[in-house]
Amino acid sequence: MKPTLPDFRKFLRSTPLRLTAGLVALFALVSLISLGATYLIVRDSIDSAMQDDIELELSVFEETETATELGELVKARANGIDPEQRIISYITPRGRHFGNGVIPEARDKFRIVRLSGDDDRHEGNYLVRGEDMHGGLLAIAISREQIDDLGELFVNILLLSLLPTTLIAFTAGILIARRSAQRIDAVNSTLNRLAEGDLSARVSTLSGRADDVSAIAEQVDRMATAQQSSVEALKQVSADIAHDLKTPIQRVSVLLSQASETPDLPARLEDILAQAGQETQGIVATFQSLLQIAQIEGGSPKGRFKPVDLGALAATFVEVYEPNAEESGHILIADLPAIGTCIVSGEQVLLGQLIANLIENAMRHTPSGSQIEVRARTLGQKIELTIADTGPGIPADERQNVLRRLYRLEQSRTTPGNGLGLSLVAVIAELHDADLELGSNHPGLSVKIVFDSASDHTSVPTL
Amino acid sequence: MKILVIEDDVTTGDYIAHGLREEGHTVDLIANGRDGLIQATTTAYDILIVDRMLPDLDGISIIKTLRGAKNLTPAIFLTSLGGVDDRIDGLNAGGDDYLVKPFAFGELSARVAALARRPQMQEQESTLNAGDLTMDLLRRKVTRAGVEIDLLPREFALLEHFLRRKGRVQTRTMLLESVWDISFDPQTNVVETHISRLRAKVDKPFDKELIKTVRGSGYRIEE
Repeated sequence: MKPTLPDFRKFLRSTPLRLTAGLVALFALVSLISLGATYLIVRDSIDSAMQDDIELELSVFEETETATELGELVKARANGIDPEQRIISYITPRGRHFGNGVIPEARDKFRIVRLSGDDDRHEGNYLVRGEDMHGGLLAIAISREQIDDLGELFVNILLLSLLPTTLIAFTAGILIARRSAQRIDAVNSTLNRLAEGDLSARVSTLSGRADDVSAIAEQVDRMATAQQSSVEALKQVSADIAHDLKTPIQRVSVLLSQASETPDLPARLEDILAQAGQETQGIVATFQSLLQIAQIEGGSPKGRFKPVDLGALAATFVEVYEPNAEESGHILIADLPAIGTCIVSGEQVLLGQLIANLIENAMRHTPSGSQIEVRARTLGQKIELTIADTGPGIPADERQNVLRRLYRLEQSRTTPGNGLGLSLVAVIAELHDADLELGSNHPGLSVKIVFDSASDHTSVPTL
Repeated sequence: MKILVIEDDVTTGDYIAHGLREEGHTVDLIANGRDGLIQATTTAYDILIVDRMLPDLDGISIIKTLRGAKNLTPAIFLTSLGGVDDRIDGLNAGGDDYLVKPFAFGELSARVAALARRPQMQEQESTLNAGDLTMDLLRRKVTRAGVEIDLLPREFALLEHFLRRKGRVQTRTMLLESVWDISFDPQTNVVETHISRLRAKVDKPFDKELIKTVRGSGYRIEE
């Protein structure tokens, strides 16, 4: 696999690499400080040895009585000394120069002076001290070459020790980071699969030592197993409840239909039986919706998703509800794109139910004469489905509540419906990773659902 | 027809068996999965009606086993579970139809009739008739007693569906499934409204009513 730029950025942000960089930086800093300190100490001690040396030399010349005597002594001493190492110079009051080199004026205290002789013989840094003696100036300079060499030596030590260490540490860090990135990726992709509803996903195949990453992997697996068994238990419980409740409901509806077949049934009793039958259907509808919401929330795997033409699906439902809308005085309008343009990846039956619930909801909660518009359009990589009405709408502070199970607005208590329609819409939208937004249609309610487009799917839409 | 019903709930089982017998079918009723499978493999039936949740062996396994043994007897699943996945699982297992409890007997009866005569639907015809009504499938025209009736495409499809299944009851859910491809139950009475629209065009201007309401079940066009 060829690493892409975002991959590389992600890699740079990985914990092991950051730790390595931090450690290497810390190590370099500590080495730098300790080498620097050593250098300073050594340099200072050489420096003070050189100063002592100069003081000693000067004290020798202090023994002389006159300028001429001093001049002769300087001449004699300087004669055998290499000016690259040491320069002794005396300028008599009459301006005569003795010694093995010229030293610029430097009195009383130590100075570091850069000398550049005419013959290159004593170029470099010197520690200089001058003193007035017998009316002239006696100066002594000692080459600091030793100290300059020391600096070079320390830089070399630094390069030789720190550079390879840093390089090795970094390479090792990158290798470890890459290795652990693979391990962490394995954990990550497992978590993603779990989040998408594949509860059988496990990290298990994680290679390598038993370390903190593999401990996390084990925890993830354990969590997934627990989640899977609790979802399975939930499914089993819903199936059991469904069976145990539906069987008696089935019996009741059997008994009701048998009772209604009794010959010469009084009209009143026939009415009561019909009503009881309808109530049974209501119970079943509520029960079925609750069961369905639980099933979808329980992690319906997305493996069954197929490309669905949302525009065509919405058109079907507009057509299905159009006669009813007309009968109840609603104006049902479709603003839908051409077939094949609004493709989403999803479960067609559930998406159909979502559209149906929203249209039914609008028809139920808006007065006669209201307009209900069903819109679908493509917005870049998104597909937006909107069902908007011109009815009373939902107050802004109530909009999140209506998505809750069995919640009904005070004003809707008297209208039919079980308070599950919008919750089912919310659950179906979430299953499809779509954003559900309840807003105002100025006036009225506007329900907008934004899906990811699946138009670049290679497969052919099934609708 | 010879029908095998595998249903563990006595009340429901008796009700189905009784209803089917009244319609003139021969019915065997078995209350447990394993015995049901043995019965289905040893005796030839025209239709199987199988509950999904059964003692010993569940309905899905029964039908899978039968299909694996090249037994293609049409099968209807009865189930308490109505989820999308449950439905797909049932049809994938080799079931031909899927009925969610509670259901009215009329619904089951209509589906039994539909399954029993399914092969006839393969016929290629260019015109369909019922009484004095004629549907020209090629020119997409409907006439009754010499008068042309103007139908919307979906009204045409709805009428065609009835004409291709003359004499057989079509329930609301069957119409939703085959005409609109909707496999859940809308809370609004959409089918009734579409039927009444169709009736307003096809029946109202004429003397005789062609589209009949079958109480408690659905609608049909008489042969």
